[in-house]
Amino acid sequence: MDQTIPEVIRTVPLQYYVFFASALFAIGVTGVLVRRNAIIIFMCVELMLNAVNILLTAFSAYRADPNGQIFVFFIMAVAAAEVSVGLGIIVMIYRNFQTTDVNLLSRLKW
Amino acid sequence: MSPLFLFLSFVALLSALGVVLAKNPVHSVLFLILTFFTLSGHYLLLNAQFLAAVNIIVYAGAIMVLFLFVIMFLNLNEETEPHKPALAKFAAAIAGGSLLLILVAAMRNVNPVGYDPTSFDSQIGMVDRLGLVLFQQYALPFELASILLLAAMVGSVMLGKRETGERNF
Amino acid sequence: MRPKPVGATFALQRLLVLLRSNLTAMLLVLPAANYQPSDYLPILIQFGLALAFVAFAMIVSHLVGPKRNSTVKDASFECGIESVGNARTPISVKYFLTAIVFVLFDVEVIFMYPWAVNFRALGNDGFIAMILFMFFLLAGFAYIIKKGILRWNEA
Repeated sequence: MDQTIPEVIRTVPLQYYVFFASALFAIGVTGVLVRRNAIIIFMCVELMLNAVNILLTAFSAYRADPNGQIFVFFIMAVAAAEVSVGLGIIVMIYRNFQTTDVNLLSRLKW
Repeated sequence: MSPLFLFLSFVALLSALGVVLAKNPVHSVLFLILTFFTLSGHYLLLNAQFLAAVNIIVYAGAIMVLFLFVIMFLNLNEETEPHKPALAKFAAAIAGGSLLLILVAAMRNVNPVGYDPTSFDSQIGMVDRLGLVLFQQYALPFELASILLLAAMVGSVMLGKRETGERNF
Repeated sequence: MRPKPVGATFALQRLLVLLRSNLTAMLLVLPAANYQPSDYLPILIQFGLALAFVAFAMIVSHLVGPKRNSTVKDASFECGIESVGNARTPISVKYFLTAIVFVLFDVEVIFMYPWAVNFRALGNDGFIAMILFMFFLLAGFAYIIKKGILRWNEA
C-alpha cells in the first residue's frame, strides 16, 4: 500500500502529544479551581474535554485505529448535551438569584 | 520536530491560559474559540480531517456561540465578575501545577509505541472510513446518542420555558 | 474585408488550453483515495490572504481616512435624540432556547455526514439505524413545537 505518512506522525513522538494534552487538561483543572463564575468553569470543563479529544485522536492517528476518532464524536455529542442543560441551569439560577457566582450557590437551597 | 506542531501547541496552550486568566468573560470565550481552532489544526496535521471540520462546526460554531449568547444574555462583564481571595487563587494554581507535574512525571518514562510503518493507514480519519466503523460497530451508542440529545432537548426546554403569565426577563 | 486577428485568437486559445490543463492538473494531481494534510495548503493560503486583506484594509482606512471627532459625531445615534442607558439590555429567553435547540440539532448533523457518504455501503441496516435516530430527534422536535418554543408572536 503506497501511502505516505503525515509529517507530524513521522517526526513528533507520540509522547509529546501526551504532554500537550496533560498541559491542556491541567490548565482546565486550574481554571475550574481558580474561577468563581459558573460560565467560565463550564468553559474550563470544555477545555478538559478537548484535551481528552486531542489525545484520543493522536493515539488513533498514530496507531491507525479509527475507534478513537469515533469516541471523539460521542464526546462531542455528550458535550453538546451537557452544555445545553448546564447553561439552561445557569440561566435559571441567574433568573432567581441574579448571580452566576458558584460560592453563593453552594447552599443548594434558599 | 515539526514546526507547525510546535506553533499550534504553543498557541493552544497560551490561549487556554488566556481562557483562565482573562478578566472579561467575553475575552475568555474568544480565547477558547482560538484554542478550538488550533486544536482543529492539530487534527488536520494528524490527518483526522473530518474531525477537524466537525470540531469547527460543533465547538466553535455552535457551543461557543451558545456560551457567548449566555454571557450577552446575562449581561456579564468585568465589573460583575466575582473573584476568589488571592490566597485561594494561589492555592488553586499550586494544585493545578502539581497536577501537571505529576502527570508529566508519570508519563516521562512511558514511551508509547509510535506508528507502525508496515500497517500504517493514513486514511482512517476520512469521513467514509469513519462512517463505516460508526454504523457497523457503534450502532447502539449512536442510537443512545439520539436519546441523550432528546433528553437534553426536553431538559433544557423544561428549564428555560416560561409559562404564560410568568416574568419573561 | 478585414483580415482576422489570427495571432490574437490563437494566443487566446493557447492560453485557455494551458489554463484548462493547469486547472485539471491542480485539481486531479492527487488520486482521490489518498488525502494528506498537505492538501490543505491552498486553504491555509486562502486564510492567510483573507486575514492579510482585512488587516490591510483596516490599516489603510485608518491611515488614509479623515478623522473628525466631536461629541455629536461620536454619539451612538446621530438623529438628535439623547441616548439613554446601556445598549446591552436583557433579552427574551426565547432567543436562548432557540440557540440551545440549534446546538442540539447541529450535533445531530455530525452523525449524518458519515451516514450520507456511506448510504449505499451501509444498506438497510444503516437506513433503519438512521430512521430510529431521526425518530428520537423528531420526537424532541415535536415536543419543542408543542411547547411553543418556536412561536414568537405571543407573550
